[in-house]
Amino acid sequence: MGAVGILVTTPNVLPERRDVWFRNGLIRQGISTAIYEKMKVDPMVYILGEGAHMKVHFDAPYIEKEFSNRVVTWPIAEDSGINFALGASLLGVKPIFDVITGDFLYRVMDSVCNTCATTTYIAGEQANPIIIRAEFLLFAPSTGQRLEALFAHIPNLNVVVPSNQLDAYYLMLDALARKEVTVFFEDRMVVDAKTKPTDKLDYVPRRPQNRIGQAYVRKAGKRLTVVSYALTLQRTEEVLNEHPEWDIELIDLMTVKPFDRQTVLGSVLKTGRLLVIEPDIVTGGIGAEVVAATVELANKMGRDIRVKRVGAPLRTIPASPSLHDMIIPNKARIERAVKEMMAR
Amino acid sequence: MSEANFLELYKKMVLIRNLETSLLQLAESTGEVSDLHLDRGQEAISVGVCSALRSDDYMVTHHRTIAHSIAKGMPLQPLVDEILGRGTGVCGGKANEMHIRSPEIGYLFSFQLVGTAAPVAAGIAWASRYVKHEDRVVALFVGDASTSNAQFLEGMNAAAIRKVPLLVVIENNHLAGNITPDYYFPENSGIRDRFNAFGIESTSIDGNKIDEVVKSAKAAVDTIRVSSRPVGLICDTTRLLMHKIGQRDVRKPELVAELARRDPIAYAERMLGLEERQKKEVREEAESMVAKAISLAHEAPWPKPDATLLSE
Repeated sequence: MGAVGILVTTPNVLPERRDVWFRNGLIRQGISTAIYEKMKVDPMVYILGEGAHMKVHFDAPYIEKEFSNRVVTWPIAEDSGINFALGASLLGVKPIFDVITGDFLYRVMDSVCNTCATTTYIAGEQANPIIIRAEFLLFAPSTGQRLEALFAHIPNLNVVVPSNQLDAYYLMLDALARKEVTVFFEDRMVVDAKTKPTDKLDYVPRRPQNRIGQAYVRKAGKRLTVVSYALTLQRTEEVLNEHPEWDIELIDLMTVKPFDRQTVLGSVLKTGRLLVIEPDIVTGGIGAEVVAATVELANKMGRDIRVKRVGAPLRTIPASPSLHDMIIPNKARIERAVKEMMAR
Repeated sequence: MSEANFLELYKKMVLIRNLETSLLQLAESTGEVSDLHLDRGQEAISVGVCSALRSDDYMVTHHRTIAHSIAKGMPLQPLVDEILGRGTGVCGGKANEMHIRSPEIGYLFSFQLVGTAAPVAAGIAWASRYVKHEDRVVALFVGDASTSNAQFLEGMNAAAIRKVPLLVVIENNHLAGNITPDYYFPENSGIRDRFNAFGIESTSIDGNKIDEVVKSAKAAVDTIRVSSRPVGLICDTTRLLMHKIGQRDVRKPELVAELARRDPIAYAERMLGLEERQKKEVREEAESMVAKAISLAHEAPWPKPDATLLSE
């Protein structure tokens, strides 16, 4: 379903019926609904991007119907598009710029990291929220690269990769409420509606209005802490559900930068073991930061922690689908890694 | 514009010249100015164009910001404080000379990477006209070198498509850092061809003649305010110093001496028929203002480190 997401129109799934589609919908519906609700109350929220009208037509017909004049279709010129969005934000516009394919973000490293991140720093309280949207779908050498770790290295950027539609909804609302730049990824490889939303009654966010930077303990346990997000979070959860006897704690990062040190550390102090399973490349990746930061903090408290990272190899994505399963950790690799860590 | 108004513009140019000269001396003697990109020889463009703007019009520039800050009406003290890295600077010491902004005077953005200012200015002009429904104009200042950058070209394309109220001022000093136009313009093609590609009208003028700049800028701004579209103003000019401090001027001294004969300040003095005594008065007033501002900046506090800098 995720792979054909752009073709799924949703005429019957109006935002008023959130209770229905939160159990069945796509991550992008969570994103679209948050944007729609915000557009209803804030006239400064604008959507920009290549083929923006077309995308809204398929993803969020209710936005097309009510706010077509706040959708700006941009030429295939991503870098200037984000600089343009920054300019508009200096007069109060809250732009959501959609580059669509994550790989296109290489072209906007300058406008995002150089222009937006530094200008919002200088502008401080005078800055406005800027959202950069992009999606992942594994396909070929320059289609399906994951760039979250690259952006996680840049000051003044938030980087989020939600694993389900409700988190996506709340994270987008939060991103639109901050005077900051947020790179908002949509992992289209997540099989929609398989990962249950975090907002069950047992989940009380530490800071209800403040989703960015907050991880969620999806499963409590005492023997091993597994940290993951997006696609690998979903796969890991499936593996763990098949083995209820393993006493494992599973944490969904959701925000890879700034990541929730407090939640991860708290868990690791309890289990003494940390396994990070990431969909992105391991070398210099999110796992490297999570492990290093957590071990540093734990060591300071006199604790030794056993650690392991599992993720994509440092190599170009092969075009043949027969090899795709060897890139992002599949359930078999995840299970092996979990068993290895439990045995240590 | 009356002679009295031109005298005021002349005073601004002299103030800019004195400020830049003093900061350069400071940089070379004490090293306390970390970076400095000077505008000497180009002052008539920023001063002339800004005089044609309303005070609530917006401005966006490249990284040579000192002249433009003064021209748009920034008070001297917060500007000097910023350049000397003080917490009392116009951006709290965060921006230094290459990223200065001051929304209070409509100076919304300046940036060090060549070309970036163009799409940012287009975005500001679009938001002003079509989101906030203002009748303001955005003046964008870039050099001729930036017209070879994709950001400039993409920005012009967007400005033309979106019909935004944008005055694109090209400070045509025939330099890209330290290299000459034969490295960035093909034979038989220049700045006007680049505007023409997007259907943007442009005018070429002598940017060192303050009266010519004021007249052309006024006409362009009036057109833009009514018709909401981008217009180019190509101002031929002379940068009389090296690209930035710490670098040598790679040009032959005879060439720079030849260019200095077009000095915009000397032109304004001839135009206004100023006597030596009057020139001296204006110069001394500028010198004393600048000396006072620098001495006050030296006593101003450094910025306080924020939480991020204090965390481990």
